[in-house]
Amino acid sequence: MAERVRLDDITKRFDETLAVDDVSLAVEPGETVGLVGPSGCGKTTTLRTVAGFETPTEGRVLFADEEVTHVPPEQRNVGLVFQSYALFDNMTVRENVEFGLKMRDVPETERAERAEELLDLLDIGGMGDRDPTTLSGGQQQRVGLARALAIEPRVLLLDEPMTGLDAKLKTRLQEEIGSLLEEIDVTSLYVTHDQAEAMVMCDRIAVMNDGRIEQVGTPAEIYEAPANGFVADFVGTSNRLDATVRNGELDFGHATVEAPADAPEGEVTVVARPEAFALDGGPVEATVEDRFYLGEHVRVSARTPDDQELTLRFDPEHAPADGRVTLSLDTDRVHLLRG
Amino acid sequence: MSTPDADGAVTGAVPDREPGRLGRLSARYGRALVTALTLVTVVFLIGPVLVTFVASFFQNWTGLFPSGGLTLQNWAQALGIADTVGAARGLGGFWTFVAPDVLFVLQLPLLPDLTLYFPFDFYIQTPIPMALGFSVLLALLGVFINLLVGVPVAYAVTRYDFRGRRLMNTFAVLPIVPGIILGIAFLKTYPGLPSVIALVLGYSLLKIPYMVLAVQSSFESMDLRQMEESARSLGASWTTTFLRVIVPGAKQGIISGSIICWTLAAAEFNFSYVVYSSGPRPFSLFLFENISNNPFLRAAAAISIYFVIVAAVTALLNYVGENGFSVGGVR
Repeated sequence: MAERVRLDDITKRFDETLAVDDVSLAVEPGETVGLVGPSGCGKTTTLRTVAGFETPTEGRVLFADEEVTHVPPEQRNVGLVFQSYALFDNMTVRENVEFGLKMRDVPETERAERAEELLDLLDIGGMGDRDPTTLSGGQQQRVGLARALAIEPRVLLLDEPMTGLDAKLKTRLQEEIGSLLEEIDVTSLYVTHDQAEAMVMCDRIAVMNDGRIEQVGTPAEIYEAPANGFVADFVGTSNRLDATVRNGELDFGHATVEAPADAPEGEVTVVARPEAFALDGGPVEATVEDRFYLGEHVRVSARTPDDQELTLRFDPEHAPADGRVTLSLDTDRVHLLRG
Repeated sequence: MSTPDADGAVTGAVPDREPGRLGRLSARYGRALVTALTLVTVVFLIGPVLVTFVASFFQNWTGLFPSGGLTLQNWAQALGIADTVGAARGLGGFWTFVAPDVLFVLQLPLLPDLTLYFPFDFYIQTPIPMALGFSVLLALLGVFINLLVGVPVAYAVTRYDFRGRRLMNTFAVLPIVPGIILGIAFLKTYPGLPSVIALVLGYSLLKIPYMVLAVQSSFESMDLRQMEESARSLGASWTTTFLRVIVPGAKQGIISGSIICWTLAAAEFNFSYVVYSSGPRPFSLFLFENISNNPFLRAAAAISIYFVIVAAVTALLNYVGENGFSVGGVR
C-alpha cells in the first residue's frame, strides 16, 4: 500500500544561493525518515520539493517509480502538517478533515465516516463540531494530522509539527504520533531541527548541513557512529578531542589510553559522548569549570591540561566537586574521525 | 517527582511589594474612572442623536426637549410623501434630465414613476424612498468594487514580496485624494459620464484604503503561505484555495471593511455634490437638501431616516458576512 519515495540528485538554487545541493534519499514504503539540521540547512526546501511547492533546479522526485517532479502540488496527493497547524478557521474540525475528500468529490456519507474514523484514531473524537481555534495546540495539531491523513497521501510530510508545543505535551505527542506512524502504513518525511525529536519519531534520520546530506542512518547509528564532526556535534552532546594513534594507544598529549581495535594510525579526532567518561581515577585529567544541576543528572564543563573542553555528565550523587578530576575513557564507546 | 508546594512556590517566587501611591490609587479607582469616562463619552455622543431621533416625531422643538403632539409629518415630508405635494417636489426635484433625442420611451407597468428613455439613460421621476434605496445600492456597488479590488490587493501585499510592494501598500492604504478634488477631476476627465457610474467609481476609489486596511489586518493574523499550501496539498486548485480558504479566513476584516466603506460612501458629500448632475440623488445630497433651507424638524427627520438606513445596512452586511461565507466553505 505505502510507496517508496525517492529523491534523485536534487539541487535547488534560489538566484545565487544553493539551498539544496545534490541530495539523494530513498524513503522505504511505510518508513518515517527525519530530515534534521540547523535552520537554513535546506531541510524545509527539500520537503517543499517533495510536496511540489518547489521545482528542483536539477534532479527528480519519484513516488513509487513514477516521476512527479513537475506534477503540481494539488495533484500529487501528499499530506502536509505544519508547525502553525494551518487549520482553516472558517470551518469546523470535521470540515477541516473532510476538505481533501471534498476536493476529491468523495460522497458525503463516506466523507463523514472517514473523518469520524480519523478523529477517533487521533483521540479527538467528539470534537468534530468544534471551531478549531477553540482547541489547544496539541489538539489542533492532531486535527492537522487527521486532515493530512484523510486523503490517504502517497507521502506524509511533517514540517516541525511539534515545535510550537510545550515540553511536556511535546513528549507525549511525540510518543503517540510516533507509534501512530508506525502503525499506519504511510511513508513519511519528518523535518525538525530537534534531533532528540527525530530520534523518537523516525526510523532513520538524514542529517543535513549546508544543503547536503551529511549522513543517513538509524538513530543509533547516527548517535554511536557519526560520519563526521558535524553530525557528532549536531546529534546529542559530544566531545571532540585531538589525539594521535600510535602503537595501539590513543595519545591525547596529556594522557594515553588504549586505542580501539580498528583504530588507524596517525592523527585523529576522538568523538566521545559524555557518558563515555567515568569518574574513577583514570588517566584523563581535567579541571571542573562549571556545574549545572539538571535534576536527573549534573552537567559538568571541564578543561583538560592542554586546554581542550570536555562536557561530562554524572549522577547528582556522584558529581565531582570543583577542582581537579581524573577520568577513565571507555574506548569502546568512542568514535574516531580521521585527522 | 515531588508535588510542588504551592504556597512555598508563590512566596518564594514573587516577593510582596508595596505598590507606589499611583499604583494604589489606580487599583482603587482605576476601573471606576474608566467606566465613568466611557459612560460620559457615550452619553455625550449618543445623547444628541437620540434626542434628534425622538424630536423628529414631534411637532415642536424649541427648548431643550421637543414638545407638541406626536406626528409622522416630518418623516413624510422628508420622504416626499406628504400631502403638501408642492413642497416635496419643489425642493427635492428628482427628475432633472430630459433626453433631447429620444428614440423611444419605456414605461414599466409596475413602476409608474420610472421612465426609461433610449438611447440615453433612464432619467426619471423618482420618488424619494426609491431614490434612497437606489442610493443604498449605489454605495453597495462601491463596496462590491472595493471588495473585488481591495481583497486581492490586501492579499498580495501581505502574502508576497515583490518589487513595488511597499509603494503599493502605501498607496493602497493612504486616502490621499479628497473627494472634492477627485470630483472635479472626474468632471474634467470624463465630462459625459452618467452620474450613477461616476458616483460608484468615485466611492470605490475614495474608500478603497479602508477596505485594504481592514482586510489586511485579518490576513496578517493568518499564516497565509502554510494555509494555502495545506489546501493545495489536499487537492484544491489555487483559485479554490483562494475562494474557499483564504477569503473566508479574512471574514472579520471583510465584514468590517464593507461596513466602513459603505457608511463612508453613503456619507460622502464633497464628491457627490461636485459630480452629481442627474438621476436618483445620492444619500448625502438628500441630507443636504433637507438640512439647508428647511424647518429643523424636517432636518431631524432626514437625519433619523439616514440613521435607520445606516443601521439596517450595517445589520445586513453583518448578517450576509457571517452567514454568506459558509456557502463557499465545505458544507
